[in-house]
Amino acid sequence: MRVIVAGIGYRNLRDHSVGVMVTDLLESRRWPEGVVVEDLSYGPIAVVQRLEDDPPERRPDRAVFVAAAVRGDRRPGTVTAYRWDAVLPSPELIQGAVCEAVTGVIALDNTLVVAQHFGALPEEVVVVEVEPDNHEAGETLGGVVGEAFEPLCALVTRLALDHSAAGRLPVGPLGGPLPPVNAR
Amino acid sequence: MCFKNLPVEFDAQGKPFLRDGVRDPYTQGAAVAQGGSRQLGTQQIEELLRRNGHIKSVDFDPVTRVAGALAFHTVADLKARKVLEARSVATLFRGYEVIMIGRDPRDAIYITSRACGVCGGVHSTCSALAIEMAIGCQPPPLGILIRNLALALEFLYDNPLHLHLLAGPDYSAAIVEPTNPSLFALAQKTEAPHAEVHGFRTIADLMTDLNPLSGKLYLEALHMTRVAREAYVLICGKYPHPQTIVPGGMSSTITLSVMNEMFIRLSQFFDYGKKIVGIWDDLTEFFYQANPEYKKVGARRANLIDTGIFDDHEAYDATYQSANEWGNRRWYTPGAIVDGQLATTDLHTINMGLEEFVEHSYYEEWTGEGQKQRFPTDPAGKPLSPYHPWNKITKPRPAGQNWKEKYTWDTAPRWDRLGMEAGCYARLWNTAVAKKQPQNPFMEATGHSLKVRLPRGALPEMEVEWHVPAVWNAFERNRARAHCVASTAMIAMNNWLAAMDILKTGDTRTSTKFEIPRKGEQRGVGFWGAGRGYLTHHLVLDRGAVANYQILTPSTWNASPTDRWGQPGPYEEAVLNTPLLEETDDPKQFRGIDILRAIRSFDPCMPCTTHIQSDGGLITREVNTCACGLDG
Repeated sequence: MRVIVAGIGYRNLRDHSVGVMVTDLLESRRWPEGVVVEDLSYGPIAVVQRLEDDPPERRPDRAVFVAAAVRGDRRPGTVTAYRWDAVLPSPELIQGAVCEAVTGVIALDNTLVVAQHFGALPEEVVVVEVEPDNHEAGETLGGVVGEAFEPLCALVTRLALDHSAAGRLPVGPLGGPLPPVNAR
Repeated sequence: MCFKNLPVEFDAQGKPFLRDGVRDPYTQGAAVAQGGSRQLGTQQIEELLRRNGHIKSVDFDPVTRVAGALAFHTVADLKARKVLEARSVATLFRGYEVIMIGRDPRDAIYITSRACGVCGGVHSTCSALAIEMAIGCQPPPLGILIRNLALALEFLYDNPLHLHLLAGPDYSAAIVEPTNPSLFALAQKTEAPHAEVHGFRTIADLMTDLNPLSGKLYLEALHMTRVAREAYVLICGKYPHPQTIVPGGMSSTITLSVMNEMFIRLSQFFDYGKKIVGIWDDLTEFFYQANPEYKKVGARRANLIDTGIFDDHEAYDATYQSANEWGNRRWYTPGAIVDGQLATTDLHTINMGLEEFVEHSYYEEWTGEGQKQRFPTDPAGKPLSPYHPWNKITKPRPAGQNWKEKYTWDTAPRWDRLGMEAGCYARLWNTAVAKKQPQNPFMEATGHSLKVRLPRGALPEMEVEWHVPAVWNAFERNRARAHCVASTAMIAMNNWLAAMDILKTGDTRTSTKFEIPRKGEQRGVGFWGAGRGYLTHHLVLDRGAVANYQILTPSTWNASPTDRWGQPGPYEEAVLNTPLLEETDDPKQFRGIDILRAIRSFDPCMPCTTHIQSDGGLITREVNTCACGLDG
């Protein structure tokens, strides 16, 4: 099975850089044949073209995306992992995502929506996202996201290597399956 | 006289001096900008809203997107079909200028690149230019040429993308048919004059292929972004944040093979340039003929500014002292246009006229009682305002949040105390009028137009000509941007040919060794540009570290708030002048398409949201604006 682990986010933007900080770290590790770790934070359209460039025999079967995402309904530092249901929004919202994509917005949601719209994603898309706390410019993670960093790297590694672990994740929309009301 | 508002005059030798007898020359009352639209006062707006049901209140929410954002607030009179109030609001502070303080200046090349997710290369280059001026490091000719090529390729990515992915949908069948059905009916019957070039028989055919996500022109533009990016990474290694831009040139290894690979991709823009010019000429003329009122959409005074771009490899020496000379040899000429007339092409004068104000911005003043102006003059001894970027201190203070006091993280940059507009079209206009472009086989400035000869490809050789427009509005911005695709492609071709000539001599040097001085104070400024126009980085070094770093981007100019004299910023002014031509009397169906056309014509690049209040409730429409320099 071929797997791509992709970090998404801006650098120098504190907690919002966590995705690329994870892939920066994991890239330096030794991975089995068929697993690649990449910073895919260079714009969704370019990411689509990068994924399309792989010859069919090298295209991944699973993509594991890791990024910060503001959902607002969970505590900062919360890590959510799920298999994306790949349901696309309306064409108007897809065009909005393309507009954002080509004008410099690098974010988990628009990367997934644009890549899915253009058919560039593999069938299985695993998302690991973190609720950020610090939103300002800076090179370091904030307290709660900093504490979550090591377990996050371990989780992403496991989801890249352990097929059954990935397969046991719930399927849900962007942001993850809705938790019980009392947990929100 | 070049300056009409600043208290600066020039002697017989052209040397500027502060006007005699002005005790405090840069205070608010010493020089007052004249002319142009004015915002109605807050009380006037409130009174109108109270008395007239057809005048619609406006609301806005801060848009909390990661990279920066802009909101736009309007008050519209749907009966009179006009806009009464327009406020441009940058909702995030990102503080790149604050981050830079105390760092090694080389960090600026990589950190400021991250100011934008699209045009990182222009910020990197602008940083490199500022550093090489501060430390005295001149790139070798091939380094200058390759740098020009890289950035021309970035613009060839950027301009078509705006035209067919961002602005294009506003003119597509999917938008025109529901918002102006009679216009679309006319488009179905109107033959496209340039059909033999772009292949669309009627204007409606053309509009149909501008449809988002599915139109052929939309998808073709997506493909062309790849072509330009592929050529770009041959030189820069990475997109959008290049790794090969250094003070003193480029660290790329340039071979004949790289040049040939680049040419294969560059040459695809020769035909594309012909096509895109034909499309936007046809669309513009169609709208004008259908309803001359469209000439007022996005209209404002033709006040434009640009520092020029793409250095002549035989002229550029990286010094401030000679900036007027090498600036006037650039492929796109620097200049300030005031009310449609070229005021200057000298970089010193452009620099002298710069000021940044924060009356309506979330920053503290840095001038006033007890504050000493750090630099009364530029390095050539010419007077500078205390509000000049070299004197500016970024002091964020998000307080007093209302229209009367402060409402944005953007500042109000002004030149000669006028609200100036930045865009690739400013460089086209300067170049056409100034007639200073180097002699070359592909382009000719006539004083009132710019002719571009595009070589034969699948289409025959063709000359396209951009004329200085009689009116300045949303349509002319887009038309000029299309012409920029053609002219930038041929500037790239000129630089490619010159680079090949140098390579043939065996000279492959692309950079000059440098050292950062560890003693004393140095100043530099990067005069460059983005795909969207004007870009400067003003740098002060102190004992080898950054003591001040100030970035002025196209969006800092265009999205700027109303200033201390009540002059609105360019977006605001353009929207205030926009008639509402949308064919609907039903507020629930009102899309605000004319306002959106006005704002989008500036080539904004990061998401922005307009919120237009109507009887049907809050209508939210996505605009896009580049927020890469909105802060500080």
